[in-house]
Amino acid sequence: MSWFRRIFSGIFWRRRNLYDDLAAEMREHIEEKTEQFVREGMSREEAAHAARRSFGNAALIEQRGREVWQWPRLESIWADVKYALRQLRKSPGFAITAVLTLALGIGANTAVFSVMNAVLLRFLAVADPQQLVYLHYDNQPWGTSQSGYGDTSLPLPVFEQLRTQHQVFSELMAFAPLSGQKIAVRFGEEPEEALGEMVSGNFFSGLGVKPFMGRGITEADEKDHTPIAVLNYSWWTSRFASDPSVVGKTLYVKGVPLTIVGIAEKGFQGADPERAMNFWIPLQNRPELTPWGNSATEHTLYGSPEWYCLLLLGRLQPGVTWQQAVAQLEPTYLRAAYAGVKHPDRKEKQPHLYFSAVRGIEDVREDYAQPLHLLMGMVVLVLVIACSNVAMLLLGRNSARQREFGVRMALGAGRATLFRQLLTEGLLLVGMGAGLGWIFAVLATRSLVAWSGILFPVALDRNVLLFTLAISALAALVFGLAPLRSATGVPVAMTMKTAAATANTDRSRFTGRRLLLTCQVSLCLILLVAAGLLFQTLRNLQASNLGMRADGLLVFGIEPQKDVQTDAEAVRFHTALLERLRALPGVESATAMSNRLGSGWSNNTAVTVDGKNPSPTKQFAPVRWNAVAPEYLHVLGIPLLVGRDITQGDTSASRKVVVVNQTFVDEYLPHTNPLGHQIELDGEASSTGQTHFTIVGVARNSSFRKIREKPWPVAYAPFTQTSGNLQMEYALRTHGDPMALLPEVRGVMRDIDPNLPLERPETQRAQFEESISTERLVANLSIFFGLLAALLVAVGLYGTLSYRINRRTAEIGIRMALGANRRQILWMVVRESMVVGVAGLGLGLPFAFLLGRALRSLLYGLSATDPRTFVLALMCIGVITLAASVIPAHRAADVDPQRALRSE
Amino acid sequence: MTNSKQESRDLFPGALEMMILESLRRQPAHGYALVQHIQQRSNNLLQVEEGSLYPALQRLLKEKLVKAEWGISATNRRVRIYQITAAGMKHLEREKSSFEQMFEGIALVLNPGKAIS
Repeated sequence: MSWFRRIFSGIFWRRRNLYDDLAAEMREHIEEKTEQFVREGMSREEAAHAARRSFGNAALIEQRGREVWQWPRLESIWADVKYALRQLRKSPGFAITAVLTLALGIGANTAVFSVMNAVLLRFLAVADPQQLVYLHYDNQPWGTSQSGYGDTSLPLPVFEQLRTQHQVFSELMAFAPLSGQKIAVRFGEEPEEALGEMVSGNFFSGLGVKPFMGRGITEADEKDHTPIAVLNYSWWTSRFASDPSVVGKTLYVKGVPLTIVGIAEKGFQGADPERAMNFWIPLQNRPELTPWGNSATEHTLYGSPEWYCLLLLGRLQPGVTWQQAVAQLEPTYLRAAYAGVKHPDRKEKQPHLYFSAVRGIEDVREDYAQPLHLLMGMVVLVLVIACSNVAMLLLGRNSARQREFGVRMALGAGRATLFRQLLTEGLLLVGMGAGLGWIFAVLATRSLVAWSGILFPVALDRNVLLFTLAISALAALVFGLAPLRSATGVPVAMTMKTAAATANTDRSRFTGRRLLLTCQVSLCLILLVAAGLLFQTLRNLQASNLGMRADGLLVFGIEPQKDVQTDAEAVRFHTALLERLRALPGVESATAMSNRLGSGWSNNTAVTVDGKNPSPTKQFAPVRWNAVAPEYLHVLGIPLLVGRDITQGDTSASRKVVVVNQTFVDEYLPHTNPLGHQIELDGEASSTGQTHFTIVGVARNSSFRKIREKPWPVAYAPFTQTSGNLQMEYALRTHGDPMALLPEVRGVMRDIDPNLPLERPETQRAQFEESISTERLVANLSIFFGLLAALLVAVGLYGTLSYRINRRTAEIGIRMALGANRRQILWMVVRESMVVGVAGLGLGLPFAFLLGRALRSLLYGLSATDPRTFVLALMCIGVITLAASVIPAHRAADVDPQRALRSE
Repeated sequence: MTNSKQESRDLFPGALEMMILESLRRQPAHGYALVQHIQQRSNNLLQVEEGSLYPALQRLLKEKLVKAEWGISATNRRVRIYQITAAGMKHLEREKSSFEQMFEGIALVLNPGKAIS
């Protein structure tokens, strides 16, 4: 580095000398000429003048002489940059504000749009994703059952029949997760949890995903159900430290030993767009590994043709349109859809097949689309405010430099030079803003992904960044260069002569700024109202009555392995485990259930009461139900209204009983004593053959799937009297901190089976909080955007006011000299700010009301015109306008009339 | 300085450099003297703009066709005296012959009758 520096400084030292010589000899030249003129009879002064005039613009000539030595453009650009930096350093307040404003605008936009793009527009990371379609259906035939997300899962016969339709699909792939959540796996000693999928043999080849190492899954693997697994590249890197020797080793999945045969292509996360999978296995036909982790006593993949459980993904033949494809598939589909139905109902609506593009996140899309659109809108408003702020800052600053430009033009700077300099300054600001904005964007994207619980990698979207960058650069340049026209259009002498007092009598320009500020205030109001409404919604959700004592509860899932397969074995296992957990010191009481509360899952089916459909207006009466262990209501703190809780006495041998909730009674058994009535849950025929449950109790309504839900008829049936309850969710009421109990619980589990992890242990409160994570994310972000907008507007207002005070110093001086007192001057400035504020409110209020109405579906526990929110937003605007005017007003009032008038 | 301003036209590129080199071939000189010299030799037909002289000198310096040293002029003034280098001589010869060819060509086109001599 030292030799480099020597050469480098050598070059510059030589340059410096060259330039000095040039300047010196030009000075000498002019003097010699002067002397000659003197000799010819001019006076000394005249001669000096004449010599200089005939020589021409010395500065320019010197510049041209220097340019001969320079790397043509580079050095003059560097000089421009240095000059621009010096100019910016002279007004650090302006520079920092402009850069930060740009950075926030660019960063927030890039982050939100990146996530948005990933969620809504992203294609799978596979070959030719535009040829791929997901298969969906409507009108599921009566008498079939379904596991999965909405209308995405189809039964095996449909897959087997449709995959032969090669005129439509070049490949039809099937896949199904091994569970709705993570499942127990073990590599080495410690059990852990991971996400896995079983896939058809053409899954990898059909998607065009090559193995990174080893091999993928083949058709033969599907046919033979070989016990193998292929790992996700990123899981292999993070969990196995990219150790190539894991290929060939054994991965235990739910206790089943599988041989790892390969690592999938880098970047491939699976076909479930919502979650990145850790590993894939071939379609299996063993009771432990079923689609969705269903109990094999209920359904198996190859034994239950009526079970809608496989997600299908087709690669269309080139040139086949969606309509053609559906039309061609329909007859085959209809046959296959009824394959497992014993008593088809010919009167029901015919099932139909339809496609959706493999783009974005199927399910997430629906959940997040509205909030994300909202955020997108907000972030665009913030960008508009940020850009207009920077524009105003630049406009103000550069028009205040009219004089500087005049001087520089008088000294021989051409329009081009000024243009280049303003351009450089503008670009420098944008460049620094973009650099900082990039850092903001990276951090913000990361936290956005973490907050919203998105389970797939989101990369920063370069296009979005470039787009926002282009917009802000455009704004900065257009407004940064605008003053140039007026600066260079006016004769130099005029700019030089005009005094500040008269220079800016141009009211029209200020009116333009005032309009812009008014618009900003109205945008800010809209953002604040949205933020207020969403924040209030979050508060209401958090404070909402869950109908139970959610604090002090530890919850975790347990799924016994291999040796527990039948319902009887499951009941024995869980009863024994509950017994041991109850005995733990610190545990007050314990129970279990098939669907964890607040997790979003529930069993849904149709119910009959005393053999009849209790809701004759509808085709069937819906009910959500949960299989529960004894003392369920007591442990969770759900008040019992009538009758009794589920108890130890409700065994598989005893009479089948059920507890229902208040809504169930209100809707299906109004005006009677609900106790003693008999209900039937469709699809729930247990091994005992008895199908009727007798109502023995009524519980108060409580939250089931999430905090935010409509009251719904719910039934609680003993897990001993229903089938398929292998995996159970435990709830322990504890004395102290629930999480502190985990080590002891883990100890108990190790004793029972070292393969069993505690699945997703957390407090019940935290679980419910998760169910409003989207609402929380949206509320937090909109608060952030609202405050950001308020801050930006305050800065813009402040900047404009103080700029205006500077320009009006002389005027204020005159006013004071004519007898205006301090208070009048203060009021003059504050009033100006207030006028903008009030005008902005007037403009923004109607839009804020409209926005409130549009948000209605996102709100909870408050109306779209919530007066408190509106008053708060109005007050916030008031504070902003007042705060922004305080300093400029005082500065104006502190003007010393004598000095102000003399300074001209 | 009342100069009868002839219809002034721009010199073609390289002309100023050529005249500077020719002047320096006869005698080393500083900038001011060069202006004077060229003006006199051309019977005031050519006005050298000082504005273009110095950049031209810098170009020649950069291409090492001339070299410069600080010295004392006849009027006892500290001046930067330019001297032609060997490379400058060679360059001048080449330029002159190509210029003469060009001039001859232009003359032939403009006065076709006299072409034979």
